[in-house]
Amino acid sequence: MRKELEAKLIARLRDDVVCVEKTDERTIFVDVKRAGFREATQIICGVGARYLCSVGYDNIDRDGTLAMVHTFALDDRNQFVCCRTAAPVDDPVIESITPDLPSAGWSEREVTDLLGLRFAGHPKPKKLVLADDWPEGIYPLRKDVPHDLVPQGAEDVAYQLDEAPPGTKIVPVGPFHPSLHEPEHFAVYVDGETIKGCDYRGFMTHRGIEKLCQTQVSYNEVPFIAERICGICGSVHATAFSQAVESAAGLVIPRRAEFIRTLMLEIERIHSNLLWLGVAGHLIGFDTVFMQAWRVREQIMWLCERLTGNRKTYGMILVGGVRRDITPEIAQDILTVVKKIEEELMVIYRAVEKDTSIHKRTKGVGTITRQQAIDWNLIGPVARARGVDIDARRDHPYAAYDEVKFEVPVLDSCDVWATLVVRVVETFEAIKIIRQCLDKMPGGEIFVEMKDKIPAQRHAITVVEAPRGESVHYVITGEENRPERWRVRAPTFTNLQAVPLMLLDEQFADFPIVMGSIDPCFSCTDRVAVVDLQTGNASSVSKAELDAMSRKHQERVKK
Amino acid sequence: MSPMPELLMGILLVIANLVLFLALAPFFDGIVRRVMARVQSRQGPPLAQSYYDLLKLLGKENIDSTGILPFRLAPLVAFASMLCVIAILPVAGRATALTPYADAISLVYLLTLGGVAVLLGAFASKNIYALIGASREMTTMIMVEPILFMILMMGVLKTGSLDLTAVIYGTPSAGFGWPGVVMIVVSLFALQAFVARQPFDIAEAEQELLGGPFIEYSGPNYALFKYYMMLKQMFYAYLPIAMFVPLIHSGYFIADLAVQMLLTALVFLLIGLLSATHPRYRIDQAIRYFAVLFVIALCAIGAAVIF
Repeated sequence: MRKELEAKLIARLRDDVVCVEKTDERTIFVDVKRAGFREATQIICGVGARYLCSVGYDNIDRDGTLAMVHTFALDDRNQFVCCRTAAPVDDPVIESITPDLPSAGWSEREVTDLLGLRFAGHPKPKKLVLADDWPEGIYPLRKDVPHDLVPQGAEDVAYQLDEAPPGTKIVPVGPFHPSLHEPEHFAVYVDGETIKGCDYRGFMTHRGIEKLCQTQVSYNEVPFIAERICGICGSVHATAFSQAVESAAGLVIPRRAEFIRTLMLEIERIHSNLLWLGVAGHLIGFDTVFMQAWRVREQIMWLCERLTGNRKTYGMILVGGVRRDITPEIAQDILTVVKKIEEELMVIYRAVEKDTSIHKRTKGVGTITRQQAIDWNLIGPVARARGVDIDARRDHPYAAYDEVKFEVPVLDSCDVWATLVVRVVETFEAIKIIRQCLDKMPGGEIFVEMKDKIPAQRHAITVVEAPRGESVHYVITGEENRPERWRVRAPTFTNLQAVPLMLLDEQFADFPIVMGSIDPCFSCTDRVAVVDLQTGNASSVSKAELDAMSRKHQERVKK
Repeated sequence: MSPMPELLMGILLVIANLVLFLALAPFFDGIVRRVMARVQSRQGPPLAQSYYDLLKLLGKENIDSTGILPFRLAPLVAFASMLCVIAILPVAGRATALTPYADAISLVYLLTLGGVAVLLGAFASKNIYALIGASREMTTMIMVEPILFMILMMGVLKTGSLDLTAVIYGTPSAGFGWPGVVMIVVSLFALQAFVARQPFDIAEAEQELLGGPFIEYSGPNYALFKYYMMLKQMFYAYLPIAMFVPLIHSGYFIADLAVQMLLTALVFLLIGLLSATHPRYRIDQAIRYFAVLFVIALCAIGAAVIF
């Protein structure tokens, strides 16, 4: 593939191609000059590559440039192609690829916000990540900007929404709205009850995790921070980061650890899909599905508490392996719990499958064609419900997925109903995978220490199939035992961009479920209040008390 | 009996009606909440929870977000119109002092007035969610009120009178014939729409419209709207019982009433079960549903006229 690609690139771009190299079995790096960047991405797409995301990084200290990487996946060959270029910092303009690949739009806007690299020909060069009152000229991901910079805020600065189509009214959905679970703002343009368009302003809780991990902590701590990117698919991010670092360092982890990672990822998938099923029920006003799905889900949280000490945010994944072993007793426990979940979910699924009123609210809703799904690079169940047969677990096997057998459900009814079926079927597949994992898991170590220093300036990319689609992590290794650049692309980042398309010409009443059908990722922290049922007295718990209580509970669970 | 004690009795019945409805409506609401909770594997709130909710709301501050009169008047009008309906309603076959001054048509008028007051409040609150909710409420009213009217019309046709006692209680159950049976089915299928619960809680639609017409209301004003909704639900749950289930004629008014209230509680049980097993319909789907009901009801009326 490398040779074929090199020949095609040189034939078209000649001197603009700097080099085409293959760093390991599955990663090809293409370095081109700025002038041939867009054309190079077109050639890469031409050989059947699927766009993943773009990464910008600061190279000013080294050669006075800002660099840009577009990453692609060749799903049928299990390979990744990363196309790199650079622009001098005093003329930071690169040709945009968004006209060719609409889903690159956000990646490019993000790089503009955070690094100050501009893209010529971008159809919507508006702010994306930074706050509206963030001062001009400060680019947070550049190395000369400290991680704890708090610039002066400004009054009366507001995001300018896109112009509403004539004859429509604007319905604001968010920043706080019961059908969204995190602060984000949709301006929905409706004509009567029909949605004619929408504009999105999100990133309101941007936490600067990437910057933090590039400046403050070391490789070994990042997985725990990565896990906190998402409250639901934490292990996915921790695994993806760890794999990227292991790949850059050439570290081979014990097979048993890979099996335990697979196990954790699938437990997480069961949890996430049950959670989604409940939320979906709630969003169409069917709270019985909500309550029943979450009742079933509760058991997996109890299981995880016994397994890892936490109901969620397991903290199992480390660079080099996993933190806890699976004992025969806990293996038996897992089998019992998943069997119960399998039975109970089947009951819910049978009821939902035949419920005509649920069909009414989900069939033919949020429809986009297979071609549109491919054009917008949709991923995960959202894509599989539109007949796009991709799954990173099968196409780019990692951990122990090469050794387990599972089906990838693909439906072609292209609507919300199909995403529901895909997610339920995937939950049953996850249970199958868990059984195989426990069956085939070899003995041995679960952790290998990283002895050598990881050389700087190595690039690595990994994908991990989260319950919502693949998460892409791109790591550039750095000097001080920490990544120089770490880019996370969560699945929602891609899928959310296509939501306006799914909403077009739908009824406003379908907004929650269409939005919910991509399973937007949310994370939340909640205050804790304790209510004494006998007296009705409510009291709050301080952090210290909560810690003490958690430890006491942990003791009990251990016994 | 001389006219004076009869009048006194009638006035007592007006008061008794109001007390009965005001006292029982939140309890019935509690039944629905408890039934839904049990279907959802939850313990559910205590049966008295709806009383607590009302009391709590009544003790809170009234936030007048618009400062215009219709916004403040709407809850009062809605609540008052419902009280009027109850005052003229011949509960368990006994006409109150006010029943002779009203008929089936004024009953429908008063019910519609309550709905119009909700719309008024929604339009006055100038909130986009309230406006969408109001337009849905209006559509629902236009489709559902004729069905109610036709249910009452059945009684009118059978007795040849518009008098409420005659319309509701005048026809013996054998007298309805098969058009009456069709009408019972229609009123069962329209039940959830009358009481504005799933699948027809379209105007309030928490997940999209955050309460729709009531979004700007708080405190006592909102309590009035809530109470209005509960009273309305109790009326609509009681109506099919009154019309289609014959009184037991035990000779004691209290016993007749108790049986009818028990049956009403069963209707609320049904409402709870239906609410817990349906998602919310979209307004366009609901309109198609109502249209079918409308046509069936019209056919039943036609049949009742011809045969």
